[in-house]
Amino acid sequence: MTRRIVIIGAHAAGVDAASAARKTDRTAEITLITEEKYAGYSRCGLPFVIGGRIPSFEDLIVFPPSYYKMMKLDLKTETKATRIDVGKKVVETVDRSGKTEEIPYDSLIIATGARAFTPPIKGSDKAGIIPLRTIEDGQKIERSIREGAKTAVVMGAGLIGLETAVALQERGLKVTVVEMMPQVLPAMLDADMAKVVQTTLEQKGINILVNKPVEEFLGVDKVTGIVAGGEQINADLFISAFGVRANTQLAVEAGIALGETKTIKTNARMQTNIADVYAVGDCAESIHLITQRPVVQQLGTVAVRQGKVAGINAAGGYATFPGVLGSAVTELYDLQIGVTGLTEKAAKMAGIEPIVGMISSKTRADYYPGAKPIKVKLIADKESQRIIGAQIIGGEEVTQRINAVSIAIQKQMTIRELAKADTAYAPPLNETWEPLVLAAETLLMKLR
Amino acid sequence: MVKVDGYEVPEGLYYSKEYAWVKIEGNRVRVGITDYAQKQLREIVYAELPSVGATINQGEPYGTIESVKAVSDLIAPISGTIEEVNEEVQARPELINEDPYGEGWLLVVKPSNLEAELAKLMDFNQAVEWHKSMIQEGK
Repeated sequence: MTRRIVIIGAHAAGVDAASAARKTDRTAEITLITEEKYAGYSRCGLPFVIGGRIPSFEDLIVFPPSYYKMMKLDLKTETKATRIDVGKKVVETVDRSGKTEEIPYDSLIIATGARAFTPPIKGSDKAGIIPLRTIEDGQKIERSIREGAKTAVVMGAGLIGLETAVALQERGLKVTVVEMMPQVLPAMLDADMAKVVQTTLEQKGINILVNKPVEEFLGVDKVTGIVAGGEQINADLFISAFGVRANTQLAVEAGIALGETKTIKTNARMQTNIADVYAVGDCAESIHLITQRPVVQQLGTVAVRQGKVAGINAAGGYATFPGVLGSAVTELYDLQIGVTGLTEKAAKMAGIEPIVGMISSKTRADYYPGAKPIKVKLIADKESQRIIGAQIIGGEEVTQRINAVSIAIQKQMTIRELAKADTAYAPPLNETWEPLVLAAETLLMKLR
Repeated sequence: MVKVDGYEVPEGLYYSKEYAWVKIEGNRVRVGITDYAQKQLREIVYAELPSVGATINQGEPYGTIESVKAVSDLIAPISGTIEEVNEEVQARPELINEDPYGEGWLLVVKPSNLEAELAKLMDFNQAVEWHKSMIQEGK
């Protein structure tokens, strides 16, 4: 009998799940359901469209409708999944015209993602607080800039907040970023590395206020200002970058269990507690490879890898997802920022005593024109001397160094092993001593 | 040869709506997939083709091609007995991307019901119109 696979959500996790399912089962009926008008686009690219580096929002569509057609995937856009009946094994949907349908499944993959979240702050019901999660959000921001917005407040100094702040500043707006925590990128970097980022952004003219929780939105119907840390800031444009919350309601109502992180709990095959139901992407939990504890890692790379595993399993194959290290990179102006594994702060919270090696070096031979600074912070577990994390900030070549450390962590490499790494060098491309190796050597000195 | 929004559609071939092209060579036909199809699939890494002597039937799958992420059944545009299989493509599937109408051909078939089946395929002009409509839908 033909296998019926239903996937709720059609972005990174959902589409990769569908592709993997099709590869595993060539005859299955595969249905993708999304509330959005556009499917299969890259949310991560949104700030770069606003900044003008990518010409249009449509360019972010990674999987055009022709892809689904060739892969024989039934894509239902502007269709909302309203209920999952795990007993009858059906998903109830309603489309834009109000038409309801019951779609039966043999395997169900929940890839409902996450939504931008604005905390319950006084006045948060006023109009004009725009998140940046969807193409429609991006278009709203674009419209506001074209209509003459001159100033913007970005609330939240996480990845999306800072990327959006840079984008708006590149479009000529005067930008203020307010962050409740005492540093920028609080979930990604330790305070010492975050300071480097903050200083650079301030030098570029972005006003950054840390330790400033948003306390109130001002204005009559539409927001015209905020109060943050007792200070009033008026602006034309207000970006909500507080963070995202997993869309779990549909799953919870169907009796699917959440984990301690309040996202959908899964095992290594991405199976939930309910038979034949899988969960992947921003709505699902992951296991951290170092702490072995559940974490929420709402990253595109995690979404596609989980999606692939669930797609294979849902189509009758066997695959497992090993867990996450939270590897992430971004670029803000000419600064590349990357992280993998635990920060010093996160290690301590997990009960691991970290030892830290820091090194400032260059991305090319010191004498070679265009050599850019690069700063590496390498973190190891004091007892096992294994590498457990890295943060790198540099003018270039950050991503592949983060990837190298990520692989080192996955292979449980020790500081001593990394210090002996056989690395490559040529004057236009690297220093003779690879910065990662130097960072490992500084760590070794601390163990003497 | 014309290009429809960047997709090549050569003259003199017949086309199926399952993205196959057919070229008549005397009493045999050569079969492959279109430029549009290979571009949708992106880098093709695997081609599973039948053996010489096997028969294929119009409208039925005879093999698969796979890229890193995508997979597609190969649907026979014509019925007949396979006389040649492009072994080069099995060793180097990227030929389908590089030259879908030339070195990336897939099969040579001795057709069993050519005249009747050709009537079900699109000629060049119809194929150009079909490509235009697909591209319109894709936007």
